[in-house]
Amino acid sequence: MANKTEKLGVIGAGTMGAGIAQVAAQAGFETLLYDIKQEFIDTGLGRIGSFLKGSRERGKISAEEEKQILDRLPSTTRLEDFAGTALVIEAAPERLDLKRDIFKQLDAICGPETLLATNTSSFSVTAIAASAQRPERVLGLHFFNPPPLMALVEVIQGDRTTDATMERATALMRAIGKTPARAKDTPGFIVNRIARPFYNESLRILGDGGAAVETIDRIMKEAGNFRMGPFELMDLIGNDINFAATESLYHSFFEDSRLRPSPIQQRMVMGGNLGRKTGRGFYVYAKK
Amino acid sequence: MSMPKNSVAIIGDNRLAHDLAGLCRDKGIEAALLPQLSNLAPATPLVVETCAGGQDRKQSLLQMLDDFLSHDSVILTSCLGYGTTHLASWASRPERVVGFATFYPLKDRKLIELAAGLRGAESAMSAAEQFFQSLGKETVRVKDSAGLTFPRIVSLIVNEAARSLEEGVAAAEEIDVALRLGVNYPQGPLRWGDQIGLDEILAVLEGLSRETGDDRYRPAPLLKKLVAAGFLGETTGRGFYTYQESQERP
Repeated sequence: MANKTEKLGVIGAGTMGAGIAQVAAQAGFETLLYDIKQEFIDTGLGRIGSFLKGSRERGKISAEEEKQILDRLPSTTRLEDFAGTALVIEAAPERLDLKRDIFKQLDAICGPETLLATNTSSFSVTAIAASAQRPERVLGLHFFNPPPLMALVEVIQGDRTTDATMERATALMRAIGKTPARAKDTPGFIVNRIARPFYNESLRILGDGGAAVETIDRIMKEAGNFRMGPFELMDLIGNDINFAATESLYHSFFEDSRLRPSPIQQRMVMGGNLGRKTGRGFYVYAKK
Repeated sequence: MSMPKNSVAIIGDNRLAHDLAGLCRDKGIEAALLPQLSNLAPATPLVVETCAGGQDRKQSLLQMLDDFLSHDSVILTSCLGYGTTHLASWASRPERVVGFATFYPLKDRKLIELAAGLRGAESAMSAAEQFFQSLGKETVRVKDSAGLTFPRIVSLIVNEAARSLEEGVAAAEEIDVALRLGVNYPQGPLRWGDQIGLDEILAVLEGLSRETGDDRYRPAPLLKKLVAAGFLGETTGRGFYTYQESQERP
């Protein structure tokens, strides 16, 4: 069982990293937040601060709890400070060389008792773990955006990750209040793979002239009970992000036609029609 | 809008047929639920045929209906495994055939998709729309294809989940919880497939494969195996999951 006196660590103070650190600190774990520059850390802590302020103003946490959570979030720009932690979760930018370099260093810094996890969504956990001398304690912990609100964490077993590592990590995810779903290290893991047809087949139907954007969204919500229609959701996620995820999965499966990306979405990305964030995607959004 | 009495016959013995008959009863529409055609009145204005797949059965059923019914009767047929144009080609009066595609249970479907075939008549489509609207459902017209929109997309999701399960990516429960919590799906795809009926999911995939020739619709071997074994989901007590009778949903 996880023990809340254990210390955790997060690498990367961006949206995912800061969100993961916040979740752990809110659950009572002291969590060390790392980034390469102090200003990145300050931005991440600032984001956590405003989230918690909102929670306090809505009466979800007290002022004292807010202070305690922030006190549980020390930060550093030195990887050496992760020595002695129970679990380090890497949420650095999605670049394989960068991630491998981080795991090589962490592997040398942290004793065998420290679990090393990557929050990657597009790389193989096994490929990242290969840079470590002890790949048996390396695994994937795939959080969903935004981590404070999304209950799921995919716990990914690389080819050399031991069952004991999986069990400890699963218990730790439950201890920080998340629902773990264990999966093998395969392209897209569970969610990014199985959810693909929701986007991709909708694009196919649109491309074939089967139905209009609004009609497909309405059908999936009113006949299918999905919370959002596929096109509304792609606009929210960002067509660039969604297209990149499909393309990455397509190549990971060596161009299997069932994952073939859509030329419609590619054209939207190339045209800068990325969705809500650019004011135009499948729908047009009012300027903020 | 209300339908005249004795205006509808529902052909089939599956859950969707029973569901439709129940809904007609709730709305005060006198509908005959007929497992076979023997008691069908030739002058019935609207016949709903609910058989999902199996060309031999579907084709002979549609041919018999077409021969037997008065010329102005409308035939509303489930177009999960074949597009409406294809289904209508089995009738001598293709203009009266309208396709609809949905999945059990109807209480979860606020909207029903309809598709006319290339030879479909507007009057038949209007009668079909009026029927579903009288049951309190919204209707939308989409282009004719096997499985239309909602059944098509959901069948592909269930297929990818079946493939992941078969490859040992994760256990069934983990796959279902991941999709419910990771992307807010109304149900986990494997549980959902068991509720819909794996034979219906397979009918849509095989229909799309046949219609398009595109490899992307090939059904997962596990799905084919389960259907071949008669493990169709909730109705047979076993699909991706095994059900105790007490756990079975009505």
